Amino acid sequence: MSEEGDFEFGDNVDKAAFEQILDMDEEEEREFSKSIVFGFLEQAEQTFSKMDAAMKDKNLEELSSLGHFLKGSSATLGFTKVKDECEKIQHYGHKKNETGESDEPDEEKCLRLIGESIAEAKRAYEVVNGLMKQFYADA
Amino acid sequence: MKSRKRVAVDQLKDAIRADSAEPCLPGSLHKPLSSDHLSPPLSPQSTSGHQSSVGMERIFTLSPTPTAVLDKDLRVILVSASSRKLCNVEPDECRGRAFLDGLDQRLMPTNHAITAKLVQDAIVTRKEQISEPVPGTDLPGYWRLRVLPIFDADELVYIVVEAQDVTEDVQRNLSYSTQLSSAETYRILVSTLRDYAIFMLTPDGRIATWNTGAMLLKQFTQEEIVGKHFSTFYSEEDRKARKPEKELELALRDGKVEDEGWRVRKDGSRFWANVIITPVYRDGELTGFSKVTRDLTERKAAEARLIAAYEEASRLKSDFLANMSHEIRTPMHGMLSALSLLTDTGLSKEQKELTDIIDESGAILLQVINDILDYSKLSSGSFSISKDVLNISEVVAAVRRCFKVGSNNDLKLEVELDPRLPKFAQGDALRYRQILQNLVSNAIKFTDQGYVQVKVTLTGENEDSYDIRTEVIDTGIGVSLESEHILFTPFTQLDKFSTKRYKGTGLGLSICKSLVELMGGTIGFGPNPEQHGSIFYFTLKLNKLDARAPAPPIPNTSDTDLKELGQKKTILLVEDNAINQTIMVRLLRAFGFEKVDVAGDGQEGLRLVKQKPLTYNLILMDISMPVMDGVTATKEIRRLGHSIPIIAMTANALKGDEEAYLAEGMNDYVAKPVDRKLLTQALLRWLR
Repeated sequence: MSEEGDFEFGDNVDKAAFEQILDMDEEEEREFSKSIVFGFLEQAEQTFSKMDAAMKDKNLEELSSLGHFLKGSSATLGFTKVKDECEKIQHYGHKKNETGESDEPDEEKCLRLIGESIAEAKRAYEVVNGLMKQFYADA
Repeated sequence: MKSRKRVAVDQLKDAIRADSAEPCLPGSLHKPLSSDHLSPPLSPQSTSGHQSSVGMERIFTLSPTPTAVLDKDLRVILVSASSRKLCNVEPDECRGRAFLDGLDQRLMPTNHAITAKLVQDAIVTRKEQISEPVPGTDLPGYWRLRVLPIFDADELVYIVVEAQDVTEDVQRNLSYSTQLSSAETYRILVSTLRDYAIFMLTPDGRIATWNTGAMLLKQFTQEEIVGKHFSTFYSEEDRKARKPEKELELALRDGKVEDEGWRVRKDGSRFWANVIITPVYRDGELTGFSKVTRDLTERKAAEARLIAAYEEASRLKSDFLANMSHEIRTPMHGMLSALSLLTDTGLSKEQKELTDIIDESGAILLQVINDILDYSKLSSGSFSISKDVLNISEVVAAVRRCFKVGSNNDLKLEVELDPRLPKFAQGDALRYRQILQNLVSNAIKFTDQGYVQVKVTLTGENEDSYDIRTEVIDTGIGVSLESEHILFTPFTQLDKFSTKRYKGTGLGLSICKSLVELMGGTIGFGPNPEQHGSIFYFTLKLNKLDARAPAPPIPNTSDTDLKELGQKKTILLVEDNAINQTIMVRLLRAFGFEKVDVAGDGQEGLRLVKQKPLTYNLILMDISMPVMDGVTATKEIRRLGHSIPIIAMTANALKGDEEAYLAEGMNDYVAKPVDRKLLTQALLRWLR
């Protein structure tokens, strides 16, 4: 049973946020957090598929909403990199720049940027996926 | 005639040979004075009545210079009246007597030989003879004998002996020669001095003299350097900056210039020099400069070593004190805690007395250790003052509680607080308390009866800060004003009593001073104006708190409170993301909330509220959701007239969002990902 303190998550995971989830586990068991994490991984896969579909339809509104959706759960678990890209997708979908502070009326450009962010988010997801599987396998 | 002359000369020779007080010319006295009558007409014995003779005689008789006129046989013909004082003789008594004989017996026995020689030389050389100055016998001062032989062709006729007063000359010479010898002394001193380079410069800065010290220090020989400009000893840099010239100007302006800096030797090596240049004037005219150079390289290096060593030692000392104090404090705490447990185990009266002693001694020791720890922290500069909320009256009350005096002795502890004192200000309550406690404990320590008064006043206030003066007034032994400089010095105590009545490290006031200064205030003391005793005070400038800052303090934030609430309250969670739903529910369960309903979007949430209008005590509302967002749902709920507290949860952490949600009818706001503590506080705020 490895303690979370020993495990090296790197900068993909915000340790404080993730530990808050781990704290909800019953003593010595990782069941709750494990179900949450694997739930998230599944949720992320589904969301990415929906994003890919929305990209084909060039549905910015849908993309923004999907970005926001995944942002919420990834933030809660502390999967920072996934969260950051989802936030960008949310903003681009609203035809804003990556921080949401200024408008970006060029829809094509927004789509292109969303495409890049989805790719980034997927990469970050793969990293987290690997880390989490390892973490819970050890556990 | 020659024979007679020779007789006289022979007699003189005898006198010289005798070179003593032996009477000379014994026979002469018996010789008739007939020779005088053979002499030229000026003989005083001559009664010829010539006016000229009498006139000449008067010249000698009345001459202010003591004078004796002798005949060729050295018999006194005439003695001036002025001789009377000099030699204490009556001119009339001398007349006709052998000069040298009388001289020997009555006049100047010590100078007899000199006189005799002068007379002889005068006769032989036929020239005037003058003696060195000799001290007078009866009269003070110095006198010079002048012997004047008067020849008529080859024949000696008279000898005139004069005593000239040369006292002034002698004195002048004397001081002159003293000057000469002291100048010589100085010259020798300077030229042989090895550790100082001392030399003269001409008015335009060229080297005029050189001493051994200069040669050793600067490596130039006298021949090499005299005539060269003194800027030779300066570095290239200094020369460019015209430092040598500036030093001369300064010396002229201020009468002296002293400087320390690097100078250069002949071989180019440097030394740290102390240089003093003084202009030298003679009769108001500048004749040059004197320059004294010392090599302080070694001293400077030693100073640097000393400073480094001191700093290192001081740091080590502080570190050591801090470490030791810390190491001692931990087991001390253990001992004292164990002791307090021990006292509760039903001890006998005797045992209780003993544990009390241990307890008291332990407490004192702990205080001493804490003082040392504080002091070492303060002196190493690693002491920080926090900027928390300070409630002065609370601290004063706590300090008062600490000292339970008044009941069992004659001492009263009074507190007087200015009603205008702020309830809260920005300050370090812990350190304020430490200072006050220290001053009060000092006051109590040195006061047997009367009172100790703590008085806090607001002395000033502006937009940003309060000026607060805290005084501790006692009726104790008092402190003399002269003690100020030692009172606040570490490890000193004013206690001069041999009994060492008052315990302590002598660090307390020094720590107080440092703390007050760290907090930007001042500390001081004076006599108690009302009666015997003293008054210690310190002033602080405390910043006002931000108007927003005193947010409703959340007293007693404890999980048990939340647990109690949790059993009674029902919460509606509106959140679209299943993951977040699960986590929030889990979190709320952990807080003790058994009844949590979950809605997947705003519309579902609204439906639940409509269905069970009085069920929910609080709604946690996500903002961005499909179907109906949180803001719309909130508006709807409010439109239906429900006043359930609604807490917004969102990751849209943009500035101004919070206000926007509150404007839409929400009551509070928690950022996502949700922080456990912040959520706890928000729940407590709205469920109490």
